[in-house]
Amino acid sequence: MKKWDRLAALVLFLIGSAAAWEAIKIGYGSFRMPGPGFYPFWLAVILGVVALIYFLNNLGKDPQVVALWEKGIWIRPLMAIIVMLGYGLLLDKLGFILDTFLLFLIWLLVIEREKLLTVALVSIIGTTAVYLLFTVLLQVQLPKGILF
Amino acid sequence: MNGFEGLMHGFALAITPTNLLFGFLGTLLGTMVGVLPGLGPAATISLLLPMTYALGSPITSIIMMAGIYYGGMYGGSTTSILLNIPGESASVVTCIDGYQMAKKGRAGAALGIAAIGSFVAGTVGVIGLTCIAPPLSRFALQFGPAEYASLTTLGLMLAAYLTGESIIKGLAMVILGLFLATIGLDPVTGNLRYTFGTMILQDGLDFLTLGMGIFGIGEILSNLEQKMSSQLVTTKITNIWPTVKDFAMAKWAIVRGSLVGFFVGLLPGGGAVISSMLSYAVEKKVAKNPEEFGQGAIEGVAGPESANNAAASASFIPMMTLGIPGNPAIAMIFAALMIQGVMPGPLLIKEHPDLFWGVVASMYIGNVMLLILNLPLVGMWVQLLKVPYSILAPIIVMICSIGVYSMKYNSGDVIMMFIFGVVGYILRKFQFDLGPLLLAFVLGRLLESSLSQALLISGGDFSIFFTRPISATILSCTALMILMPFFTRLVRKFRKSGSGVSA
Repeated sequence: MKKWDRLAALVLFLIGSAAAWEAIKIGYGSFRMPGPGFYPFWLAVILGVVALIYFLNNLGKDPQVVALWEKGIWIRPLMAIIVMLGYGLLLDKLGFILDTFLLFLIWLLVIEREKLLTVALVSIIGTTAVYLLFTVLLQVQLPKGILF
Repeated sequence: MNGFEGLMHGFALAITPTNLLFGFLGTLLGTMVGVLPGLGPAATISLLLPMTYALGSPITSIIMMAGIYYGGMYGGSTTSILLNIPGESASVVTCIDGYQMAKKGRAGAALGIAAIGSFVAGTVGVIGLTCIAPPLSRFALQFGPAEYASLTTLGLMLAAYLTGESIIKGLAMVILGLFLATIGLDPVTGNLRYTFGTMILQDGLDFLTLGMGIFGIGEILSNLEQKMSSQLVTTKITNIWPTVKDFAMAKWAIVRGSLVGFFVGLLPGGGAVISSMLSYAVEKKVAKNPEEFGQGAIEGVAGPESANNAAASASFIPMMTLGIPGNPAIAMIFAALMIQGVMPGPLLIKEHPDLFWGVVASMYIGNVMLLILNLPLVGMWVQLLKVPYSILAPIIVMICSIGVYSMKYNSGDVIMMFIFGVVGYILRKFQFDLGPLLLAFVLGRLLESSLSQALLISGGDFSIFFTRPISATILSCTALMILMPFFTRLVRKFRKSGSGVSA
C-alpha cells in the first residue's frame, strides 16, 4: 500500500497547492480584515502539511507489491460508471420512465449477466412499480421525455 | 416543562396514529436495510430526505428516520450471524462469534441474545438521552462563536482519530470535506469561491448529492468488484430464545456493552461502529476464558450488539443539544431537521419541545416494536437475504437519482452525484474512510462562520479561543488528543531502548 499511499499524498498535496493559489486569487485579505480566500487559504496550507506528513510516513519499500485493481476487477465498476453517466445524461431527453427501463435492462444484461427471463421480468415490473409509486402515488415531478 | 412532563407530553404525541405508523415504518425499514448488506442506515435516510418535504410535519419525519437508524442496528446482526457478512458496518465484529455460533447450530440463541441486548441497550440509551439532553442544552446556551469553533474542531479531530486505521488519512479527509463546504457563495463576504465559472456550483454543493454519491453510489461500485455470493447457514432456526445459561453468561456483557456504547456514542466522531469494536475488545479483556472468543462466545455477540444500539441513541444527544452530528447517519437526520427549518442546537429543546420530546418518546416505543419485529419474525428477515444484490443495485441507483433530482429538478445534480460516487469509490480503493469527509462537509459552514464571528468580536485577536474558559477547556482536550499518539510513540521507543539496554 505504501506506493499507493505516496501517490495519494502527492495528489492531495497538488490539490492543496492549487486551492491555495486560487484562494490568494479570490482575495486573502489580512488577519484583521479576512477576505473570502482567507479561510480556504489556511485550509489549503493545513492540507499541504498533512499531505507531506502522510507522504513521509509512507517512505520505503512495500513488503509485497499490492495491486490496487487486481486483474479484471475494475471491469464491472467501470461498466457501471459508464451506464450511470449515460443514465444521467439521457434523463431529460428520454424521460425518467424510459431511461430507467433502459438502466435496468442494460445493468442486468451487461453488468450482471442475468438470465433473459429475469432481466425482462425485473425491468418491466421494476419500471412499472416505480411509475406507480413515484409518478402516480407520490406525484414526484420527474422528467417527461419522448414516451411518457 | 420539566423532564417528566416533557416525556409524558412526548408520549401523547408519539402515539398518534400517524406517528405510530411512521415510527413503525421507520423501524421496519431500518431492520430491512440493516439485514441487507451494502445498504446502510445513512444511505437509506439520505434516500428518504426528499420525502420529508412531502410528510410535512418535522416530528413525523424525524421519528421515522430515527427508527431507521436504530432499527438498522438491530437488523445488522442477523446478516452477520447467518452469513458472516456484516449487514451493516456496526455489526462487523458480530460476525466473529455470531457466525461461529450459527455453525454450531446455535444461530437462534445468537439472534435472540442480539435482539434482547439491543433492546436493553437501546432503552438505556434513550433513558440517558432523556436525562442528559435537557441540562446539556441549557449549558450549551452559554456557548458563543469561540466555543462553537473550538467544539467543531474537537469534533472533527475526534472523527479523524477514531475512524479508520490511519489518523493522517482521516485528517486529510476532514480537510477535504471542509474544502468541499467552501464551494459556492462565501457566507461572510458574498464572494464566489471555487465555482470555476460554472452555474451549478454557485449554490454550493448539496449535502444530499455528496452523501448519496460517496455513500450510496460509491458503495455500489465497490460491491460490484466481487460477485456477491451468499452462503446462508441453512440449519433451521428452531429456538430463538437463549437458554437460562446463555442469559447468565451474557447479562453483564449487555450491561457493559450498553455503557461503552452510550459513552462512545456521545463523542463526536464516535457512534455505532466504533462502540461495537470497543465493546468486543472489552469483553475479550474481562472474559474468564478469552480463548473462547472467535469460537462462538455469546458475550462476543451480546456486548457489541448492545453497544451499537446504545451508541445510536446516545448520538442524538450532541446533535440535538449542540448541533454537532457525530456520525454520517446522524448527520443525515441533522440535514432532515434543517430541511424542515429546525436548527439543531441548544435552542432546539426550548423552541421545539414537541419535536424533541415526541422523537424521544417514539424511541422508547420503537425499541419495543423492534424487539417484536426481531424475535418472532427473524425468519422473515432471513428470506429477505435471498433477494440477490444484482437486482438491488440498479434499484438503489434509481432511487438515489430520484432523490437528488427531486430536490431542484435538475438532472445536472444527478450527474454530479454519480461523479461523487466515482470519487468515493476511488477514495475507498485507497483505503480512506469517508465518514470524516461527510462530517467535515456538514460542519464546515458552522466552523467557518463561528471562526470569523469570533475573530470579528475580538478584532482579529486569536487569544479569544484561549481566554474564554469553556473554549480553552475544549481546545486543551483537542491538543491533548493530537499530542497523545506522539507521546505514546515516544514512550514506546523509550521503553524499547530501555529494555534493550537492560538485556
